[in-house]
Amino acid sequence: MLVKKKKNPLQEIYLIEILKGLFITIKNMLFAPKVTIQYPEQRRNYSERFRGMHYIKATNGVENCTACMLCPTVCPAECIHIEAGERADKEKYPVKFEIDVLRCCFCGMCEEACPKDAIKLSTIYEMSTTHREVYDKAFLVEQRGSK
Amino acid sequence: MPKCIIDGREVEFTPGKNIIEVAKEVGISIPFFCYHPGLSVVAQCRMCAVEIEKMPKLQTACSTVPTEGMVIKTKSDRVLQAQKATMEFLLINHPLDCPICDKAGECDLQDNSFGFGDAYSRYTEERRTYMDLDMGPVIKKNMNRCIHCTRCIRFGDEIAGIREMVAVQRGNNTEITTSDGRALETDYAGNYADICPTGSLTLHDFRFKKRVWFLTKTATVCEGCSRGCNIDLHHDAGVIQRCTPRENLAINKYWICDEGRFNFHYVNDESRITDPVLVEAGHLNSVEWASGLDQARKLMAGKKALVLLGSDLTQEEGKLLKEFFPKHLPNAQVFHFGTPGVSDSKSDADADKILKRKSKTANLHGMESLGFKPFEKAPAGCEVALVIRGGRAVVPALNGLRAIGIGVFQKEHAKDFSVILPGASFAEKDGTVVNFAGHEQKVARAITPPGQSKLLPEVLMMWINQKAVGAA
Repeated sequence: MLVKKKKNPLQEIYLIEILKGLFITIKNMLFAPKVTIQYPEQRRNYSERFRGMHYIKATNGVENCTACMLCPTVCPAECIHIEAGERADKEKYPVKFEIDVLRCCFCGMCEEACPKDAIKLSTIYEMSTTHREVYDKAFLVEQRGSK
Repeated sequence: MPKCIIDGREVEFTPGKNIIEVAKEVGISIPFFCYHPGLSVVAQCRMCAVEIEKMPKLQTACSTVPTEGMVIKTKSDRVLQAQKATMEFLLINHPLDCPICDKAGECDLQDNSFGFGDAYSRYTEERRTYMDLDMGPVIKKNMNRCIHCTRCIRFGDEIAGIREMVAVQRGNNTEITTSDGRALETDYAGNYADICPTGSLTLHDFRFKKRVWFLTKTATVCEGCSRGCNIDLHHDAGVIQRCTPRENLAINKYWICDEGRFNFHYVNDESRITDPVLVEAGHLNSVEWASGLDQARKLMAGKKALVLLGSDLTQEEGKLLKEFFPKHLPNAQVFHFGTPGVSDSKSDADADKILKRKSKTANLHGMESLGFKPFEKAPAGCEVALVIRGGRAVVPALNGLRAIGIGVFQKEHAKDFSVILPGASFAEKDGTVVNFAGHEQKVARAITPPGQSKLLPEVLMMWINQKAVGAA
């Protein structure tokens, strides 16, 4: 059964209630610490452990990756595609290393599985594009993130 | 049967079998490297050491046969200690390159290290390294990974019948190599990669193609010759990546020849015709099935036809065609064909002393038992030829007859044909083949037929039922 709460006449005209609410708004506007930032000009600092855009670490210009396929094995989204090959200075290297970022769920398991410390997730989080992006090897090696 | 006791269990055994085999039958696995059921026993890896009561020292399970009342312990503290020590010794010089090793995932050394070894190495000195010489087109050697089990040496000696692998130097410096560093000569070289318990000997053909844990195995039968060796096709995402022998003691034991091992390549080959095509002046025009069939029927209509069936078809397909021709193409003269020079089962014989047979198609003996006659010469008066084959039978010269092909054809075949309707290879169909000794074996479907290829029953149904294009 719905019980109607009795209100006194002052409450009935709402004016005082509106002023009370407005007071809280004005108090927060003028005196409370600000939680938003001016985004493009101001940037937030994320933790070093933030999982953002991928990159492949390189040592002396040679990618660390040996195409062992452990990252596509653990990847739950199946977004990593590698083709292995052989060249003079490296027994096994990735001929093709592609990450289909739209499928990626940024779980970071590739980073965890990598025995060569090659695939990493950087702190870059601005990855919106107007087309379906597939990161290829050249991009991933070049892209060192903010680290 | 006599009984012995393994790990507290009373086990009946056949006299003569070694402890590894006896224990395996009751589900107790003993780790080993150098032992292989198809090869002689040398007991040199020491991994299979077990404790036997009343014997002062540990015994190798591969070289010891159980006797009545023998008490064997495979998991006692002494055994575990010995296994750990053996693993540590074997891994002293083994490089930590599992990420780039093709064997990783099916490696005995990896499995046993995980199961019986220590997770850490105490070895700090420099590891020995080798320069690897080329071993020919089949096998890629990486001596750094070798643990000197000598399975490859024994395989060459005992199975392949050519002693081409040798161990030079001694002790820590032992190197397994071919004599004078020449290329491997045997036709069974692929087996070296299968029996190697580490990644020392791997296939050039499979090098870096796929990690083994991505592959799905389909148990099937090789179509390379009338031996009918049992094989596993390893495939992923509709592409066959490699082929390995499957144990069948009655037929191929543990082995397979290189011809059979690398035979699957035509299945995913780019030059394979996977659309119905009309051949006009050497040019291939892909068409719809309906118009391809239409053209084929038009060519055949009312003419005296020569029908050639490849002896690489399965029994089921053979039976189906046997009933199809009298009903729907009464003018047809039907023959089977396969290998040039081997027209019937009488001329089929062993091609070597191991596995290979002269007939290079799997079902020659089965097609013959269905009553098809071997093809020798086109009978007079034939105007058109219909060739139905899998991927293996060699198309004989048709002497300028207009020809229709159903089955697996490569682009280089096309010049002899007017119409080609794509069919399924041995990896794409289920069926039965009969080998030279009369064993009926199952061929299993591993992948789906590529492109617009269709199975033979489907093609024949369309041939009968589908109305001509444009007909009301």
